[in-house]
Amino acid sequence: MRRSITILLVIFAIIPFTFWCLGWAQYRIGGLLFEWSSDGCSLPFFGHLCDTGSNLSWVSALVFNLLIFVMVLATLLTVAERKWSAFTQDRIGPERARIGPAWFQKHVSLGGLPHVAADALKMIFKENTRPTAADRDKILFWLAPVLAFAPIFALAAVIPFGPTVWVSGYRVPAMVANPDFGILWVFAIASLAVYGTSLAGWASNSKFALLGGVRAASQMISYEVALGLSLVGMMVAFTTVRLPDLIGSAAAGTGQSQYLWGASVLGVDVGLPAWGIVLQPLGFLLFFAASFAETKRAPFDIPEGESEIIGYFLEYSGMKFGTFMISEFVEVVVLSALITAIFLGGWNIGVGDIALAQGFGQSHPVWYGALCAMVFALKVLLLCWFQLIVRWTFPRFRYDQIMTLGWKILLPLGLFNLFLTGALVLLDPTLHWLALAGLLEIALLVALTLTQAAKAPGAAAGHTDAHGLPAAAASAHH
Amino acid sequence: MAYYKATKDPTTDIRERTYVPELLHGLAVTMRHFMRNLFFPRDANVDVLNRKGTSQITTVSYPEEKQVYPEGYRGLHRLVPRDDGKPRCVACYLCATICPAQCIHIEAGEYETQDASGESRVIEKFPTSFVIDELRCIVCGLCVDACPKDAIRMDTGLHTPSEYTRSGFVWDIPRLLEGPPVSHPSDPWMRRPASEAPAHQHLEKHARIGDGLVQLKLPQSAPAHPVRTEVTSGPVPVTKFLRD
Repeated sequence: MRRSITILLVIFAIIPFTFWCLGWAQYRIGGLLFEWSSDGCSLPFFGHLCDTGSNLSWVSALVFNLLIFVMVLATLLTVAERKWSAFTQDRIGPERARIGPAWFQKHVSLGGLPHVAADALKMIFKENTRPTAADRDKILFWLAPVLAFAPIFALAAVIPFGPTVWVSGYRVPAMVANPDFGILWVFAIASLAVYGTSLAGWASNSKFALLGGVRAASQMISYEVALGLSLVGMMVAFTTVRLPDLIGSAAAGTGQSQYLWGASVLGVDVGLPAWGIVLQPLGFLLFFAASFAETKRAPFDIPEGESEIIGYFLEYSGMKFGTFMISEFVEVVVLSALITAIFLGGWNIGVGDIALAQGFGQSHPVWYGALCAMVFALKVLLLCWFQLIVRWTFPRFRYDQIMTLGWKILLPLGLFNLFLTGALVLLDPTLHWLALAGLLEIALLVALTLTQAAKAPGAAAGHTDAHGLPAAAASAHH
Repeated sequence: MAYYKATKDPTTDIRERTYVPELLHGLAVTMRHFMRNLFFPRDANVDVLNRKGTSQITTVSYPEEKQVYPEGYRGLHRLVPRDDGKPRCVACYLCATICPAQCIHIEAGEYETQDASGESRVIEKFPTSFVIDELRCIVCGLCVDACPKDAIRMDTGLHTPSEYTRSGFVWDIPRLLEGPPVSHPSDPWMRRPASEAPAHQHLEKHARIGDGLVQLKLPQSAPAHPVRTEVTSGPVPVTKFLRD
């Protein structure tokens, strides 16, 4: 009972409150920075940032969204992976790194959280070895972890972690940059990550690492096609590639913040929101599968193959290996944020968004922005959890299965989805037909999942004879 | 549950073909385990099969919770002390010889012939060091079988505890010697003439051997110096100790 209450308290009070505080601080400090820079600030080495009309609020987004939210969440996921995998497998998981004052007899394990510090210290202080064979390309060997980590981290720059709100007279966005090319930046930079993995395999000068790097390169390049194609449907539906425009504004009723069929009940708007998962369930599935392949995690962890085949960072040790590992978790967080922004309605709750934006959002814009950032962060956290559960549920694909899935299934399905979306948007630019098609797809999936195949009459299909052959086949055999 | 017509061949079943419904079924299984184990406290009953509650965790959190060993479990060995606190061991090397893991190392000492306690008249040797390397020991119990003096027993019920260093697993006499003192009527030191116990007590204690039918050979007049005969005819010079 005490455990259940504690967990519920953490999930529904402590974590949301932390996210809310983070969002509030991000908007507040962003507003202060905006004010400071627009007044004509002066910086020692970065004077050009203080040119007339400059806006330094992106520094706040960089610190709070990328350095704090993404990095801390990725770091916590390293322990969460082990702890949550333990729960799915009926184990306790790591709990032996304990903290507490010396006089306290039984130190607290805090759900394994001190393992974060223990792991970080271990990674940093471990001997950083390099095989003599890798002397051939010391620079590339050193560069590979950086190239694996940096592009993933840079992806998050265009993701809005909250709406753009008025903070003491300044429009403060919750994203580092809002370029016109939006999602295209994601595709461009994500494809750079393959250099890190293949360089790691090549510069190690080891056959196993090289094979791992080749597997990584082939898998990531194959799935980038499906990754991009699955998002085109959303771009077509909302005629934009900018992520904030995809999410839209509840007050203006644009993007995913609008309702397809909605009504106002007692001042609270309810209805079917135009979220990407409603409009593009097929696109969501394709993107989710392709993003798993991009993160190189199970069931697509054939580049790494930690349990038996050996992966591309075989020769790395210490913090260089740690960089590869943390980049994997950063990728999980960033792709969760991307899916949240594109398919899960961003910071919208789904009920009462318009009322909230027009009432609370007008009277207390910073608190409203913090609330939206909290909703966004919670969705990201939920998706991270889901990705970890998927990783501990599905077995690894074989190499030929990966290629078949990428080229023969995801790519044609993506093309079909794009064609269908284009046709339906042409027929009905208000997206209602597209939503109907999406609901139909969801209903089909639910129906298939909740039903089961009828038992064949007579001989049960599951029964086999002593040779493991089905009964019919066995009789034919005899 | 709704049903629809399907052939027996799973490759033509649309669920198997589309793959996603089966994936969702699998996810439901792992999520169910996750939720049960996350939200509900673990039953710490060390009898794992009889654990109750919603949580399905089967871990026994070892140092705090220990599995109950079966009744026949005997555990690590120990050296048995005498009444005077010294080990019963007479350094005969039988245990070290039979040990298949060669984990017992004994160094024998000789009793001073002028020893006032008079033990030298009945016991020749004692272990100056008796060391067992617990990392090599396979707990087979052959040493216990080999020991003629009931000096080593396996009845502690413990298994090797953890140590931080390998040297911590090398146990010597102070570490091995534990338990209540044990003496048997047939112990040589019980028969020494200098014993303050009257002779009839010895007789009583030996009654089980044959109810006095066996005439006890009580050393009456042991020489102060045992005769020492040097035998040099063998392949190796051997010093032989002879008594009386």
